[in-house]
Amino acid sequence: MNLVYKLLRCQLRGTQFAGFFLANLTGMLIVLLSIQLWYDLQPFFTGKDRLFRKEFLVVTKRISAFGTLTGRNTTFTPEELREISEQPFIRKTGNFTSSRFRTTAGMELGRFGAGFATELFFESVPDEYIDVKTEEWGFEEGDNRIPIILPRNYLNLYNFGFAQSRNLPKLSEGTIGLLNLDIRIQGQGKESGFQGKIVGFSDRLNTILVPQRFMDWANATFAGEKGAEVARVIVETDNPADERMARFFKSKGYEIEGGKQAAGEMMWFLNLLTLFVASIGLLICALSFYILILSIYLILQKDRVKIENLLLLGYAPKRIARPYELFVLAVHTGTVVLAWLSIWGIRGCYLPFLQAMQAVKSGMLPVWVGGIVLFSGVFLLNAGIIRRKVRKTALSHKI
Amino acid sequence: MDTIYLKNVLPEIFLTKENTGSEIWRQEVCFSKGQTVLLKAVSGAGKSSLCSFIYGCRRDFSGSVCFDGQDILSLKQADWERVRRVSLSIVFQDLRLFPELTAFENVEVKNCLTGFRTDNWIRDCFLQVGLGDKTEEKAGKLSFGQQQRVALIRALCQPFDFILLDEPVSHLDDENNRICSRLLTGEARRQGAGVLVTSIGYEPEMTYDKVFRL
Repeated sequence: MNLVYKLLRCQLRGTQFAGFFLANLTGMLIVLLSIQLWYDLQPFFTGKDRLFRKEFLVVTKRISAFGTLTGRNTTFTPEELREISEQPFIRKTGNFTSSRFRTTAGMELGRFGAGFATELFFESVPDEYIDVKTEEWGFEEGDNRIPIILPRNYLNLYNFGFAQSRNLPKLSEGTIGLLNLDIRIQGQGKESGFQGKIVGFSDRLNTILVPQRFMDWANATFAGEKGAEVARVIVETDNPADERMARFFKSKGYEIEGGKQAAGEMMWFLNLLTLFVASIGLLICALSFYILILSIYLILQKDRVKIENLLLLGYAPKRIARPYELFVLAVHTGTVVLAWLSIWGIRGCYLPFLQAMQAVKSGMLPVWVGGIVLFSGVFLLNAGIIRRKVRKTALSHKI
Repeated sequence: MDTIYLKNVLPEIFLTKENTGSEIWRQEVCFSKGQTVLLKAVSGAGKSSLCSFIYGCRRDFSGSVCFDGQDILSLKQADWERVRRVSLSIVFQDLRLFPELTAFENVEVKNCLTGFRTDNWIRDCFLQVGLGDKTEEKAGKLSFGQQQRVALIRALCQPFDFILLDEPVSHLDDENNRICSRLLTGEARRQGAGVLVTSIGYEPEMTYDKVFRL
């Protein structure tokens, strides 16, 4: 064995070493685990998935009791629309177009010998904002058929509310697709009949949707040239959790429909939680690092005479520092490998639950990288401190 | 290194003394390579201090010490490492051995750095100074006289232009004094080195070119 190593063999006591090792492991584990969890959970909140589709928000003006009494306008002016679309956090905007003609829909329930009819309204948005993708969606002038998309909660309301209480048959999405609605449209002295067909259910848009082309044609035909007013706007954003957006909408008195910001808030909460947990991890890391530094100072103090003698024999501080650096390297390597293994094990426990909700494609790359960054940073800092301390021993004795 | 030059050197602790009566302190003295010099003094006159000043362990002195005309205060850490490996050797009065290492390892720790001697040469030295059976003994368990001999062998495990011997035989009997002195003289002559010996009265049996009263 190299004599310098033999001479400067670590004098840490078992308890000191265990204390430092555990503290360091805990700190590193918390930091790396919070990074891994953040990485694994992020897709659930970032909108490019099927669980929380959050990049689209529907904006309306707030309706207050005072506004209702005074008849305040709740539609957007062109200036307001332009202002919204110019905000840096908005990628693009689309207007809701309302039907300005009278519409009734009816259905013959031949088997039951009865039928019903009701007045209703249509709205449309540009096709790119619609979350139901079907080939049946479309309209050409002269078509007798109008595809319709309903909000999914309408179906739920019927199945679990109305049908349940009245012992009526429950309807699946497929069954409803088979029904034909008799749609009658009236306006400007004209009247036309169409076959309405429900082609899908939307989670995103809480309205009765028809294709934009149909709406433009029908409004022009049955409502004339009277300008349409926009009461609702759909906006696409990169980050629904953007604080500037919340501030902007609040200051303008606009509302986001139906708790659509929930995922954004959850994302914000996840970020906050990750930051908090990672900070605690970093704090523990810093404390364990401090313990190690104190331990190293203690060892160097214990070895002071030996270090002086080696310097007097002609050894370079760099060479004297090496055994201590190797000790620190071994300790840090041990902690980072153990932390990696632990995270791999912990991840194996929680991953099946996440996989059950949706496919998790993320790997452990952030933990590998994070571990190496933390390991390198702490080790380089330690090595620097050791060399400085050994050199200082030489200087303080004017060796 | 060919010369060690002392100019008006005085330990700070003696600064208040008007007249030291010394042939070294506050004098101009030059030690040349190849010379064997004895520095005699009573206890407390600063023999070990002088060795420490020349070896660069302490700087608490006024005046200047120069190696070949270069003031040693201008030497950097790396310069000192080189000087201590190839130019200047020493036997400290307190020896500075590592008690947890064996006698042989104490010598080896220096030889590892310089690679100047073979193991056989070292073992032969141990035999010559009567420590052939003590090589694997922990240095801390040896008597001071035995430790002095180990330190002396260690000091020879490097090339040197000067060797400083701070009371190197104070705990040796006449026979061992003779053996060690012969070993030292032989090595110094082989390397053409200068020898600076301090003593309070019992010095190595050598032929001295100069004797200074400290």
